[in-house]
Amino acid sequence: MALVHLRKLGLLHLVNRACASRSLASKAQTKESELGPIFQYVGQHRKPKDKVFVWGFSYTGALGIPSFVIPDSGRKKRRKYQFTPYRLDTAEQISSAACGYGFTLLSSRTRDITKLWGMGLNKDSQLGFQCSRHDREKSYAYVLEPSPVRLPLARPQETRVLQVACGRAHSLILTDSEGVFSLGNNAYGQCGRKIVEDEVYSGSHVIHKIEGFDSRVTQVACGQDHSLFLTETGRVYTCGWGADGQTGLGSYDMASRPAAVAGDLAGVRVRQVTSYGDCSLAVSQDGELFGWGNSEYRQLSAVTEAMQINTPQHLPVEEMGKVQQAACGGTQVAVLNDKGEVFVWGYGILGKGPNLSESKKPEMVPPALFGRSEFNPSVRVTQIRCGLHHFAAVTDKGELFVWGKNVRGCLGIGKADDQFFPWRVTVPGHVVDVACGVDHMVALVKSLI
Amino acid sequence: MGTPATRLYRSLEGLFAVYKPAGVHWKLVRDTVETNLLKGINCAPPPALRTQVKFLLQSGAGSEAHKEVTLRPVRLPVLADHPLVTGPEFQKLRVGVGHRLDVFSSGVFVLGVGNGNAKFKEMYERYNTRDYTLEGEFGRATDDFSHGGRVIERTTYDHITCDKLERVLAMIQGANQKALLSYSNVDMRSQEAYELAVRGMLFPEGKTPPILTGLRCLDFQPPRFTLEVQCMNETQRYLRRLLHEVGLELRSSAICVGIRRVRDGPFTLQEALTRQRWTLPDVAQAVCQAHSIRRKSGKAFSQGAG
Repeated sequence: MALVHLRKLGLLHLVNRACASRSLASKAQTKESELGPIFQYVGQHRKPKDKVFVWGFSYTGALGIPSFVIPDSGRKKRRKYQFTPYRLDTAEQISSAACGYGFTLLSSRTRDITKLWGMGLNKDSQLGFQCSRHDREKSYAYVLEPSPVRLPLARPQETRVLQVACGRAHSLILTDSEGVFSLGNNAYGQCGRKIVEDEVYSGSHVIHKIEGFDSRVTQVACGQDHSLFLTETGRVYTCGWGADGQTGLGSYDMASRPAAVAGDLAGVRVRQVTSYGDCSLAVSQDGELFGWGNSEYRQLSAVTEAMQINTPQHLPVEEMGKVQQAACGGTQVAVLNDKGEVFVWGYGILGKGPNLSESKKPEMVPPALFGRSEFNPSVRVTQIRCGLHHFAAVTDKGELFVWGKNVRGCLGIGKADDQFFPWRVTVPGHVVDVACGVDHMVALVKSLI
Repeated sequence: MGTPATRLYRSLEGLFAVYKPAGVHWKLVRDTVETNLLKGINCAPPPALRTQVKFLLQSGAGSEAHKEVTLRPVRLPVLADHPLVTGPEFQKLRVGVGHRLDVFSSGVFVLGVGNGNAKFKEMYERYNTRDYTLEGEFGRATDDFSHGGRVIERTTYDHITCDKLERVLAMIQGANQKALLSYSNVDMRSQEAYELAVRGMLFPEGKTPPILTGLRCLDFQPPRFTLEVQCMNETQRYLRRLLHEVGLELRSSAICVGIRRVRDGPFTLQEALTRQRWTLPDVAQAVCQAHSIRRKSGKAFSQGAG
């Protein structure tokens, strides 16, 4: 005999009496009937929920919460900086997020029609054409909440979006069977299509499908005004602005069609490419590190004293062991090795106190700062990401550590001060992935239960 | 003076640990220990009684004609010194307590005797952590978070696994690590803060809320589970509430079935005296041992054992 009691959320019901006496091993003297019903809040097969948290500068709309910019009621005030993580409600489970310069793209692996949402700055149509309600010919310059981005897919109900990447004013979308799509500014050829003189990018409908790769693209990365593509065969293709040599094609011109890089990367199978400013890095399958592009801040000083190099060169980093992952910021570089140790170098707040503001050689950030102690002797970092002036690291315990310049509250630590060594961000859940932008961040989080 | 009892009384000075059983108020423990120590001290054989010479009237066996008063000197003990008249020599002993345990909890309870009480200030003023073993049970929530309270709600717990419990504990520990760093009065923007954080030497100063420096699950057999906690500035009620909150995080409810303090500063369960040993010779030995440990380690009672 089971009585059903509905709580206000309608999630709970009374369990059978037989179950009650079996589950209670108490020494209570009171009778079972006096103790009241047994509530079930969570079933046995409950799966953890996936959530998205955002924080940082909100006036561009990059956080996707319209009430921060335009308050719901007249009495509320606008919220310019969100200093702590704030939950963003999404329609689907988000599998990949990318933060650009004032805008955000979220994508889901669903096979539904709507797979991609964008919010924030849209002056160069980096979020596609977001038609306004009053006038269907005009596109919004600022998108305040996650709005669907319509991709011109051939098979929209079969293709899945694997990854998104955002640069200063352009975005790249990687799908599993239809290649790479690019949106936004193409003044330097970063979208991989022919540069059109005096093209007006705001309110543009152009979404270009990039061709010219030797095999399927497995990863995309965006620098400030250039794009990097990694194919299945391990080859790296680039296009875009090259004045700092960040395209790695051997010259300092812009490239409007993706071309394969050579130099030290010829014949090397690359595992990961990364960029966010004007410096680019690649990690090979064997754990070797290659870099090209801007070196004004000593990012590539392991091989050169010049300000920039325009062909990929191997960076000798024996003291770091086998490199697992690399992340590039505007002026700094972070590398993660297979033992879970983080090495940083470059210029800016590197994470070893205010005294270390620049370094040519890799400096290891002590694991004790990531929560390693006698109670947790085996904590290691599993992911490292860079924003323009800050770093983020995710440990295997699901904790997020950030450090660097706190540009408009982008660190999410509850205060506006810069953080000179890794500091935990309090997120209610297990952090799975994080995306860093210039002044905002997005975290993909799994709930604990 | 020099009597064995006085020498014993004066030499009893220092800190020692007793094992407080559950269900007993800490004051009762302190009073019992004080009584036992005094009993032990007063057991020592009293010094021999002072004697005095008294001249007692002797009944003369003379004739009526003499009428002389003859006195007979007799050595008699001075009854004013007799223990039955004066009572026990020592009626009060200064026994002080360290960090208190409430009625529900058991474990290491540090007491100080004589001038040893002055060491408490030094011991507890600085950074000092305590270790506890908490036994919890899922399925119920009570008003005082223990099994003796009024049941407020009952919930199911079949969805709880060790993995989920570990995740919740990791989250709680993360929040506490952050509090540990924030409550230290060091400017986070200085190089000094970084150096201390790397070495793990950033400690909270002054009055802070309870902070857990370590938390881990020792045993998990639903509905029972056992946690080991290393904390500072805590109360036992806070620890019971911690178990209740662990239950809430797991979308169920939990109560505390037992709290046992395993370590208080440098005193561990090994050195704690059980009830049968709350006697003078055992306490004197414990005080000596604590002294020698302190001299060997060479530092004051300020750092925990681990």
